[in-house]
Amino acid sequence: MELIINNLSKTYSNGIKALQNISLDIPTGMFGLLGPNGAGKSTLMRTLSTLQEADSGSVFLGDIDVLKQKNELRQVLGYLPQQFGLYPKISAEVLLNHFAVLKGIANKSERQELVKALLEKTNLYEVRKQNLKGYSGGMKQRFGIAQALLNNPKLLIVDEPTAGLDPVERNRFYNVLSELGEHTVVILSTHIVDDVKELCTNMAIINQGQVCLKGNPSQIIEDLKGKVYKKTIEKPELNLYKQNYQVISEKLFLGKPTIHILSDNNPGDGFTGVNADLEDVYFSEIFNNTNPKSN
Amino acid sequence: MWYNIFKFEIQYRIKRPDTYVFFLFLFLFSIVGVDFVFQGADFGAMKKNSPFVIAKTMGAITGIFMILASMIMGVSVLRDFEYEIESLIFSTTIKKKDYLLGRFLGSFTVLLFVFSGVLFGMMLGEFMPWHNPNYLLEFSFLTYLKTFLIVTLPTLFFGASLFFVTGALSRNLVVVYTQGIFLFVVFMLTKAITNQFWQAILDPFSLTTTTFVTKSWSALERGTQSIPFFGGALMYNKLFWFSLGILALLYGYKKFNFNVIKNKQSKRKKVQVSNIEPVSDASAITIPDAEKQYGMLSKWTQLKQFSWFYFLNICKQSSFWAIVICGMVIILINSVSLGTVYGVDSYPATYFIVEELKETSIYFFIIILVFYSGELVWKERGAKLNLIYDATAMSSFINLAGKYIALNLIYVVLMLALISSGIIFQTLNGYYNYEFSVYFSGFFLEILPSLALFTFIAFFVQALVNHKFVGIMVVIILFISTITLGVFGFDHDLYFFGGRSLGTYSDMNGYGHSLKPYLLIKSYWLFFGILLLIIGSLFIVRGTETNLLKRLKISKQRISKPLFIFGSVITIIFILLGSFIFYNTNVLNDYWTNSEATEFRIAYEKNLKSFEYLPQPKIVDVNLKVELYPLSRNYTAEGYYILKNTNEQPINEIHIQKLLERSVTLDTITFEGGATENNKYATYNYTIYQLNNTLNPGDSIKMNFKQSLTTKGFESGNSNSTIVGNGTFFKNQDFPTIGYSRKIELNDNDERSKYNLPERTSRASRDDMTELVNARSGGDSDGINFEMIIGTEINQTAIAPGNLIKQWTENNRSYYHYKMKQPIVNFYAMVSARYELKKDKWISKSDSITKHVALEIYYHKGHDYNIDRMMLSMKASLNYYSTHFSPYQYEQLRIMEFPRYAQFAQSFPGTVPFSESIGFVLDIDDETDVDMAFYVTAHEIAHQWFGMQVAAANVKGRHLILETLSQYAAMMVLKEHYPKERVQQFLDIQNDRYLEGKRRESGQEPALEFVENQEYIYYAKGAINMYALQKEIGEDKVNLALKRFINDWNIIDGSMKNHTNRYATSKDLLGYFKEVTPDNQQYIITELFESVCEF
Repeated sequence: MELIINNLSKTYSNGIKALQNISLDIPTGMFGLLGPNGAGKSTLMRTLSTLQEADSGSVFLGDIDVLKQKNELRQVLGYLPQQFGLYPKISAEVLLNHFAVLKGIANKSERQELVKALLEKTNLYEVRKQNLKGYSGGMKQRFGIAQALLNNPKLLIVDEPTAGLDPVERNRFYNVLSELGEHTVVILSTHIVDDVKELCTNMAIINQGQVCLKGNPSQIIEDLKGKVYKKTIEKPELNLYKQNYQVISEKLFLGKPTIHILSDNNPGDGFTGVNADLEDVYFSEIFNNTNPKSN
Repeated sequence: MWYNIFKFEIQYRIKRPDTYVFFLFLFLFSIVGVDFVFQGADFGAMKKNSPFVIAKTMGAITGIFMILASMIMGVSVLRDFEYEIESLIFSTTIKKKDYLLGRFLGSFTVLLFVFSGVLFGMMLGEFMPWHNPNYLLEFSFLTYLKTFLIVTLPTLFFGASLFFVTGALSRNLVVVYTQGIFLFVVFMLTKAITNQFWQAILDPFSLTTTTFVTKSWSALERGTQSIPFFGGALMYNKLFWFSLGILALLYGYKKFNFNVIKNKQSKRKKVQVSNIEPVSDASAITIPDAEKQYGMLSKWTQLKQFSWFYFLNICKQSSFWAIVICGMVIILINSVSLGTVYGVDSYPATYFIVEELKETSIYFFIIILVFYSGELVWKERGAKLNLIYDATAMSSFINLAGKYIALNLIYVVLMLALISSGIIFQTLNGYYNYEFSVYFSGFFLEILPSLALFTFIAFFVQALVNHKFVGIMVVIILFISTITLGVFGFDHDLYFFGGRSLGTYSDMNGYGHSLKPYLLIKSYWLFFGILLLIIGSLFIVRGTETNLLKRLKISKQRISKPLFIFGSVITIIFILLGSFIFYNTNVLNDYWTNSEATEFRIAYEKNLKSFEYLPQPKIVDVNLKVELYPLSRNYTAEGYYILKNTNEQPINEIHIQKLLERSVTLDTITFEGGATENNKYATYNYTIYQLNNTLNPGDSIKMNFKQSLTTKGFESGNSNSTIVGNGTFFKNQDFPTIGYSRKIELNDNDERSKYNLPERTSRASRDDMTELVNARSGGDSDGINFEMIIGTEINQTAIAPGNLIKQWTENNRSYYHYKMKQPIVNFYAMVSARYELKKDKWISKSDSITKHVALEIYYHKGHDYNIDRMMLSMKASLNYYSTHFSPYQYEQLRIMEFPRYAQFAQSFPGTVPFSESIGFVLDIDDETDVDMAFYVTAHEIAHQWFGMQVAAANVKGRHLILETLSQYAAMMVLKEHYPKERVQQFLDIQNDRYLEGKRRESGQEPALEFVENQEYIYYAKGAINMYALQKEIGEDKVNLALKRFINDWNIIDGSMKNHTNRYATSKDLLGYFKEVTPDNQQYIITELFESVCEF
């Protein structure tokens, strides 16, 4: 089973081109969708989740025409939105059971077993009787993934799941995600590079509604090998460097700006070569994409 | 600082569309405000824009739309919590005082803007073309403004404070709405206060207050004067509520916590404990592969799940229980008036309780309907769970239907609560005959279907309109326009949403024949409602696409096959039911719109008016065989009239008017000697028979006829309730009448002038020779010989006037043969029901020959509370009247109970049909109540003299003879048997009734001798004045005058009546009074009867 996105476009009524001819082939396994805020990730995710209409293009999951056969897709879809709330006065067990019913699990004993297993899986079993009002951010996200897995989805869409989670919570969440079988297409959208690095076998970077890069993370990093150099500079010098080099990122390190630049050969000038990681790839792509002239 | 917050609040609201929607709504509503609030009221001399009317209307509109205040003020602080920016705001340097003050003043300013819609709307309303300028004062901006400031502003301030504080403290919108109910309960409770002053002070909407401060005003003053404010009850009322508002604000200020978290500590702790749980063996768990089903069975499970889930959800809200408790409490503490007749309550029979409960709780149901439908449709979006729901394979329809069912279950809970409070009420009052079936049908057959249907509308609107509050407004507008459509006569069951109401419940007849068509029509609308729900589910927001046009576009792909099939089946059933209803109402029966009916009346008058005083013969003999079929609601009447020409000129043609109903047919009609039928006016059911042999003065002719009523199917609206399963009661007016019928004419004078018809007076002047010879229209006579065989179902008793000369059963039916030994007026009723019988007899004492009169009361089983009182009254009345006026003319006197479809008792020769609701179930306490069962009986029996012995000419003053004299006679009997205080109490009630009527009088109040159709004069003032007369000149003198009057004017052998063809008038009557009054007291007659004197 493969998710094939072909020339998908969407322009909002206010003129913003959220998706421009997006084409992606997404195999089973974890797929990371990386992009800055406002890149169109959520629009893409919502379109894939049948929650939004596209203007043109097509999306197929196996035989299912995602844009037209919405209900067929929903039967095999698990979706965790970027932001969601929970009914405060209900326990996790009750709400999960409710979702199980509305996802079509009609047999009561099967449903109870499933709910129990998922609560254990997401480590919520101990707190299953508590009202959801008291849940922490991490618990809420784990509940979110539990509900997304109820119908044993073939396509699982997880939109920015780790935003706002502390590292411990994030790890716990990854543990749940990483276990998903090889038979599922899992799309994880995020603007956190580490998420993709740690979990995904395939990825794409999108910016301003376009796919700028797609492939296997390690392969992509390989492509950038020997092209990234860094230097710690003084603050006033920043603009000067920006004019002379392709500065893809700037970070503060011990209070001083450290810049990463992209260069085919060693620029000298105090720059030292670094082992490119996914973050550099990400920033370089964003850089290229937003400053096409300087490329 | 507060000013910035104030400014921000206003700027925020200026950008919100709902601000303008609310304003526009109030503006548009207020244009018809006066018409709505005073719907059906008789304005009388009151001008439609008099300060009094404006004050009442503004008060009522402000009260009704307090909901708007809750929507505006409630969200003011709540909003910050909903958008989760409270932490941003509370952590700034803003002070609590500034924050609250700014928010309150800002929202209150917006609220004032919104409610200024009432001010401007009402002003504009004055200039609407449907107002007759004669009913208006000159336009005065100041009056409106002043009333707005005095009446609306303080109420708004109180409401605003209350809603603002509850919104800020509870942080829950539904709690805010519930405050609206709280205010309503307060309003209802003030009605229970017997002290009028305190009632006026405490009424939150100052409706009773305006009445109170103008209590002593005449109609004219009310019509023009402005409402006194300073120093009066109105000012205290407003001060009271204003200070309550201030108190609420102070309390809110003290209690409002400028913290983000609302006491959550305990739960936090628990969570922290569980957070430490290790993650170790999660990977060892395999998730079982549960079977997913998308078939019917699964949908059914889902529907049940949704319904129950949302139902429990509402049940968990304390605001809902607040509503339930308010609903239950209101009947227990409110002074309920159960079927009250002249201040006497009835026994708390279940149907009275149900009616009372329905009346007080309807507002609660509407609030629940309007708000919870919005809450439910927005449930997922409110909890921000919508995207998760929307991405699952659930059907939008099943989801919406589940919510729909949940809301209906909520109604059921409230109804069960109301029923239990009703049972508690009955128990506390020592009444243990609970009649659960009446409770059940009253709520679950009468209210629930209507609520369920309107809930469909609410869900449909909320699904379509992507804005909760706008949706709520649209729903309210739709409700109001539905009601308005009905008022304007667009009320055919096929297109008047929800169709007819169930009609009155009667102990005797239950819901009778109206139940079946009612259920049929409700199911027709139910299927329509399901269609609405289906369409709503196709258009409802799913995902992030909120634009209506886009949603309309993609709705097509949302139609799944099962839904399509389901929708088609529903459509087919809907059409089939509709066709069946149409067949019944428009094919089997005639349906007339208001305008068609008006046109008919106009045409009738224009074409036939010239026949009005055409010399026609009078009926002198009636001999009929009536076969009643109560169950199928049919009858046939076959037999003859003998018509006598009492005129001075020969008659060649006889004009016969049949009832207009198509179900009534005149199957045959023949005249002795033969006649040719002229069908020129067949449209009007008016036929002219050209006699072969001229009917000369003094000659008689026999007219044979057969008339049948054949009820086919059912009619639109509520059909006639005279021939019913148990409790048939119809009169001889249903049989063919002779000559032009004035009753068919268009009655309303405003409408008449629109169609250029001359003004119609209810009574002709006292010297109108053409009417002086009429006592009532349609073949009058000076007495008829009456004989009737009447057959009915075997277990029913059929009653008509006369001695029962034979009774038998035949073909499993019961037959009764009645014959009057002496002539009677041409006025008789036929009655049939399953009766219990109470028998007694009365022996005349005053006559030289003793005469036995059989006394019979036919009553419904179980209605025996007051039978003894009625029997006592029969005897007492016969004693008094026969002693003081003239002998009783018949050999029997019967009272027959009939269903409460009509609420009166009426006298016919020797028979008195008496409504179920006015005497039989009254709970009379002799310590405190006037015995109205006794009194009404006495009044009706008096009509055996005034009406049956003496007939009054159909001119002004007619009812002085018929009704006022009966009032007098009954009072004398009451006086004889009850202590003075009871009589005084009765007179006090009459006085109130008179003043109330006088207040509503639109024309000049006539003197008693010229009274037309004003009940408040001929009943109320008549009673008072007659009582005064006998007090002044003596009871025996009044009785002597009446004795002479009857002796001279009775229709059988009256010494005056025998020499004239005219009937007695008030002038004749006053002559007898004057005769017995000493010269020095003659002025009393003038004062009491010939002039309008003020008390």
